[in-house]
Amino acid sequence: MKRSLPFIIILVVLAVAVGSVWYMTRPTPGSTTLVNPASPNQSPSNARPASLTGVPGAEPAHTLGSANAPAHIEEFGDFQCPPCGMFHPILTQMHKEFGDKLRITFREFPLAGHNHAVAAASSAEAAGLQNRYWEMHDMIYEHQADWKDKFDVRPVFEDYAKQLGLDVERWKRDVGSEQVAQRIFLDGRRGHSMGVKGTPTVFLNGREVPFETLIVADKLRVVIQNEINASGSR
Amino acid sequence: MKLYLTAAIVSLIGLADAIYLTIEHVTGQSVRCTIVAGCSEVLSSPYSVVAGVPLAMIGAAAYFGVFSFATLAAFGYRFAVKLLTVLVLVMFLVSLWLIYLQAFVIHAFCQFCLLSAAVATALTVIVLLARRAARLS
Repeated sequence: MKRSLPFIIILVVLAVAVGSVWYMTRPTPGSTTLVNPASPNQSPSNARPASLTGVPGAEPAHTLGSANAPAHIEEFGDFQCPPCGMFHPILTQMHKEFGDKLRITFREFPLAGHNHAVAAASSAEAAGLQNRYWEMHDMIYEHQADWKDKFDVRPVFEDYAKQLGLDVERWKRDVGSEQVAQRIFLDGRRGHSMGVKGTPTVFLNGREVPFETLIVADKLRVVIQNEINASGSR
Repeated sequence: MKLYLTAAIVSLIGLADAIYLTIEHVTGQSVRCTIVAGCSEVLSSPYSVVAGVPLAMIGAAAYFGVFSFATLAAFGYRFAVKLLTVLVLVMFLVSLWLIYLQAFVIHAFCQFCLLSAAVATALTVIVLLARRAARLS
């Protein structure tokens, strides 16, 4: 018995190790996975609108596309996060391709580890108070590499505000305003209530899209199309 | 023998750490930005994969090897001592290289990778102490 005991211990540890990896990486029934676009019946039909899950975020939310769109993407993003920067052109492309069939909502989720994330979110929200949210949003993401390693980003964002033709004095006041801080807080609280821990976290009709699907336009296009097809067959 | 038992227990910390990183890698979580800064930069770098295999998975296999050899050594299997020593030394050197990459190439530190390096260092010290104790007796 004593001679075989170490081997038994080793086998038990191996079983626990392999079992835990298998358990944690298995596909869960609730996650959005790639299905054959030709078989819309395979699309999950129990999709709930994202507004029915989690506590409300800032209202009115920043949205693109029709309110009645069959596919609704809600992104929780951080302007300083490089993968969010990578996802930005993909989502922009989806917006162009699907038009009114795809509704896009962006929620602020600035992470504490990024020193300029709150400043960037505030700058975009302040532009939103002049109805120019998406222009500033695009500007900040598209130039992420230019500002993310700077010590002081305020002049950079102020320059964007000037380029967009905003009322810069008002924008500067709004950046530090309670209203803007409250919007970022509400979006963050909504993300937290939906289990968001990192960025970008994206929900399609209320279900989280795996990151590996997000960052490949061809894969994301398929899952969006599936939702649109499924809505047509319902 | 007690030192080898200690090495086996310490290696479980490294094994759990490496399994966690493997799961993060496989599920794509590590590529995202998370509340803990630094890890996404390190774990999404090209150095996180060796010949298509996540480095964390190789690390998990190595820690499992350490656990196995240390357990066998603790039960008096002499052949395991040599294998354990070689494996632990290799892991220590790889850890030094990975710390160098984080500090001077990637310019970001991931605390889970640093924990792994700390465990590998502790294992090296324990195994060398065990071998010294064996020589002296």
